[in-house]
Amino acid sequence: MALSLQSLKSHFPIFIHRPELVYLDSAATSQKPKVVIASITDFYEKENANIHRGLYEISSKATERYEKVRTKVADFIRAEAPNTVAFTKGTTESINIVAQSFLKRILKAGDNVVISAMEHHANLIPWQQVCAQCNAELRVIPVNKDGDLMLEEVSTLINKNTKLVAVTHISNVLGTINPIEEIISIAHKRNIPILVDGAQSVGHTPIDVQKLNLDFLVFSAHKMFGPLGTGVLYCKKELTSGVHPFNFGGGSIRDVALNHTEFMDYPNNLEAGTANIPGVIGLGVAIDFIQSLDLKEAEDYVSLMTTSFREGLKSIGKIKVMGNPKKSGGIISFNVNDIHPHDVASFLASSSIAVRAGHHCAQPLHKAMDTSASVRASFSIYNTKEDVENTIASLIELKKFWS
Amino acid sequence: MVDVKILYSKVIKDQNERPYHFEKRNDSTAIVKAYNPICGDRFELYLSHDGMNIQQVYFHGFGCAISKASTSLLVRAIEGKTMGEAMNICEKFLEFMDKKTAFDLVNLTDEFLAFKTVHDFPERYDCATLSFRELSKFLGSIESK
Repeated sequence: MALSLQSLKSHFPIFIHRPELVYLDSAATSQKPKVVIASITDFYEKENANIHRGLYEISSKATERYEKVRTKVADFIRAEAPNTVAFTKGTTESINIVAQSFLKRILKAGDNVVISAMEHHANLIPWQQVCAQCNAELRVIPVNKDGDLMLEEVSTLINKNTKLVAVTHISNVLGTINPIEEIISIAHKRNIPILVDGAQSVGHTPIDVQKLNLDFLVFSAHKMFGPLGTGVLYCKKELTSGVHPFNFGGGSIRDVALNHTEFMDYPNNLEAGTANIPGVIGLGVAIDFIQSLDLKEAEDYVSLMTTSFREGLKSIGKIKVMGNPKKSGGIISFNVNDIHPHDVASFLASSSIAVRAGHHCAQPLHKAMDTSASVRASFSIYNTKEDVENTIASLIELKKFWS
Repeated sequence: MVDVKILYSKVIKDQNERPYHFEKRNDSTAIVKAYNPICGDRFELYLSHDGMNIQQVYFHGFGCAISKASTSLLVRAIEGKTMGEAMNICEKFLEFMDKKTAFDLVNLTDEFLAFKTVHDFPERYDCATLSFRELSKFLGSIESK
């Protein structure tokens, strides 16, 4: 039976220790449910051992649990097989792997990579740098003032020299849910692989990589109720042979001589060194937690919170919300009059309201939307109607104080 | 929890709303960039100097009330000073913000005391000190030449 969303706060210990906390920064990192935290402690207390190495009970148990999560992740994103899933440090590392260990080997001078103007720096800088290294060109799908991608431009940006398209599923600033099906189909018409940054979407909206016919999907455990420091790279089966080692070291090899190494196949070739085992175990438990919810209901609930916050902002007046996308998730960025986002965030913080202020690792997007910084509120399943009301009330008080 | 309103004293609010010499200049002899990549604060300080004497200073850019007010006070304080005196002002203010020394009434005017409240808001330390840190780096590079 699905967990009731009304009583969800009690599953997150942070709200027991800090009952006053209004946490509106889930796009930065989500809070962790008790079960996830307990699974990490449990591992260290009862089963701590390295994987793929020891011939004793707790080591084989750790290996089994680690590999079971690979299967769980594969099932969760509807991947064709567990060995399409590599564990990484997070979304950023996953993207860097695709840039340096896949794309760099095929990118030549005169080629290009297509991204969008609303990318997080993590889905921009790795492409910008690999393009600079290979004398290739970085092309950018522009964003309109509503915060939607100008897809009509894509057909002129993509050409026979495009080697990869990389776009975010949900914008970490505007909340825009991009029509990735459409972008994937445009790229695939020209046989161009596509990477989707799922940092803000996986675990919050159902994803089926096979149905989408996605080539690469990257995401982080910590934004989907899992632990910090663990992420995933999904690579479509037929492309895995093109993904080469990123870090070199033990655990990723088949045979080593002093002057030569034969590496294991993907994904093991990417997992050199001791893995973040409790991180992966915690990710598995986070997926169980998500699956104990009705994800569609959870999505609707977050959308309801976000819409009522958007309306609350409108009612205050003189608040400029960034964009008004056709479809959006639980993220809203805004500016209050001429009050700098930092001053807004400090003011809200004094009422225990946690929001983000700055450019949220998306400087080019802020530039495109003609602003330097913004305040970002992001919602999750543990937020309540009271959270929204308290934040709006605090913003009204802020405006009074600054007038 | 300390009430955030004490952070925004009259001095800080006034300096934020009516900053001193807040204007882009293209006739300066040196530009000091005070950028904070984390939060996106971006100020430029336009110095007109003759040898080691700072004759006129303007600044322009984008930042929160705390960083704007502190930069405004800094700009006003170093005008007409020597580079050494300006360095002293930066150092004394930074030492005070770092809680290393008591407030220095010899080098700093009492308006700078408004930033004492930042001691209670460590997350705003970077805002209050941004321009002082960048200016002192610039002055240090001149002195070492």
